[in-house]
Amino acid sequence: MSAYLRLAGVNKTFGSFTALGHIDLEVEKGEFVTFLGPSGSGKTTTLMVIAGFEQATKGEITVADQSLAHLAPQERNIGIVFQNYALFPHKTAAENVYFPLQMRKVGKKEGMKKAEEMLELVGLSGFAHRLPKELSGGQQQRVALARALVFEPDLLLLDEPLGALDKNLREQMQIEIKRIQKRLGVTTIFVTHDQTEAMSMSDRIVVFSNGAIEQAAAPLDIYHRPATRFVADFIGESNLLEATILDADAATAHSPVLGEVTCGAEGLPPLTNGQAVTLLIRPEHLKLSREPKEGRMNAQMVIETIVNYGDNAVVIGHAGKQQIRVRVPGADVVILQEGDTCHFSWTADAVFVLDK
Amino acid sequence: MNTLMRWIGIAVVIFIAAPLVIVVPMSFSTAASLQFPPPGYSWGYYQQFFSDPSWLRPAWNSIYIATMNTLLTMALVVPATFALVRHKFWGKSFANLMMMMPMAVPHIVMAVGYYSYFGELRLVHSKLGVILAHSCLSVPITFLVLSANLKGFDLTLERAARSLGATPSQVFRHITLPILKPGLAISALFAFIQSFDETVVAIFISGRNAETLPRKMFDSIREEADPVIAVISTLLFAIVFVGLLAPSLIKLVRRMTGSPQPK
Repeated sequence: MSAYLRLAGVNKTFGSFTALGHIDLEVEKGEFVTFLGPSGSGKTTTLMVIAGFEQATKGEITVADQSLAHLAPQERNIGIVFQNYALFPHKTAAENVYFPLQMRKVGKKEGMKKAEEMLELVGLSGFAHRLPKELSGGQQQRVALARALVFEPDLLLLDEPLGALDKNLREQMQIEIKRIQKRLGVTTIFVTHDQTEAMSMSDRIVVFSNGAIEQAAAPLDIYHRPATRFVADFIGESNLLEATILDADAATAHSPVLGEVTCGAEGLPPLTNGQAVTLLIRPEHLKLSREPKEGRMNAQMVIETIVNYGDNAVVIGHAGKQQIRVRVPGADVVILQEGDTCHFSWTADAVFVLDK
Repeated sequence: MNTLMRWIGIAVVIFIAAPLVIVVPMSFSTAASLQFPPPGYSWGYYQQFFSDPSWLRPAWNSIYIATMNTLLTMALVVPATFALVRHKFWGKSFANLMMMMPMAVPHIVMAVGYYSYFGELRLVHSKLGVILAHSCLSVPITFLVLSANLKGFDLTLERAARSLGATPSQVFRHITLPILKPGLAISALFAFIQSFDETVVAIFISGRNAETLPRKMFDSIREEADPVIAVISTLLFAIVFVGLLAPSLIKLVRRMTGSPQPK
């Protein structure tokens, strides 16, 4: 299957500053892809290059095998939802949604009818004749979404669209955007720095750091089989431990903190004897106990802090100089006290190996 | 303390407003010259103003010059403001300084300058000369109002419009211009008032052919203290007052009649 959107060797420099190193990416038709990364990692720049507001210094972008290079932003047929919505303040909700149709020479009567149908799809049927300032943040968001979709764009780009909304509304909009995207089948790129948002919405996550792609994979792959230490650290909570491979065939390693460890997680990268590596164990894969547990690998730590979330808690402790985080069910936490020495244990399939 | 501040406030308001209020009864006076309080009241001087060509001609001159000045000033300042607010270029801060210069230089200095310089160009005693000089004086205030508006303009709106299929000129026509309309109207109004009100330069260069209303009033008060001056002051006062209050009045009427805001 050939990719619908393709970025080949896209590079962007501002003077001596390299904003994007060398971006290669392929997106399938109808796919929901999230660009995830800290601010300044290049995700928004990539989006702006696709939209045509920034010119790539090098490289090529194609949609359905057509190069975008010589197309101005208004010729690209790409719908964009901006962080601040960018609704036209002097136009009503319906007129905002009609605007792209008006630019495409659709008559007022037909266009306004289509705009109102689109507003209905995003759940705003009664609000067509309100001005943006008479709408709440969530409603403005929906108008912006309707406006970006009404002209059946080839691509939908969303630039941190949920950043300004409170938590409940944000979750509601996540579900809503996903529903509308599925219904219309539009190829979508969603930019965010919020990893839970990325995990819950995407078909695929592209993790950016320092103007380069660290990893592009399905959410659970990213979580369980991160390609780099950066990804492991950025996505979810993690225990990252220095180690040396003892026996590549048996997948055993020696860690100063844990002792000898068998690494048994799925999808391990190729290993060599004596290789310096980083072991990844997610906090929810560790268990705490007073005594070492039979049938599991054990080590000791001193509890330093307990952070309670109600349904679960994170216990932060030290094993030597290494910080260890353990996520335990909320009910288990009552028997633990800060300052206690206890054992933490894990099984081989919880241990993933990263290149140093 | 609070009461004292209030009384000081009231005193200041009276002191500032008194000259404005005093001209109104004087304009209806029956006295032969400016006199307060008036000995009696009539419409006599209003009739005189509206029938005397020596008053009407400068009034039309003023309106013509102020209108032309507004058009010329806006034609110069609108593109200049876009360039200065939105773009970086070599010599930008110098250009900014030059835009504001006419505000800092005393008008009398400008007037003397125009008098000798326009003399060479044969622009003294011509409407064109006054229009050109007034445009120069109108630039700073127009620029200040417009640049404040433009700085507050969210550029993402233009990007959004581009992404939705609008060419740059369509973006300007459908998005930028309508959103900036109130700011443009106010800066044009300032340009108009600046010219209509300007006296010093007009005295130096307007002459007989391009005599403006303020110049005529100045000549008149020196020679005869004609109460027609009070009529003109009252009319100007009324026009500005209505102009400033109109937007709030319209809003008030809309709210009272419950009709929807314009789209």
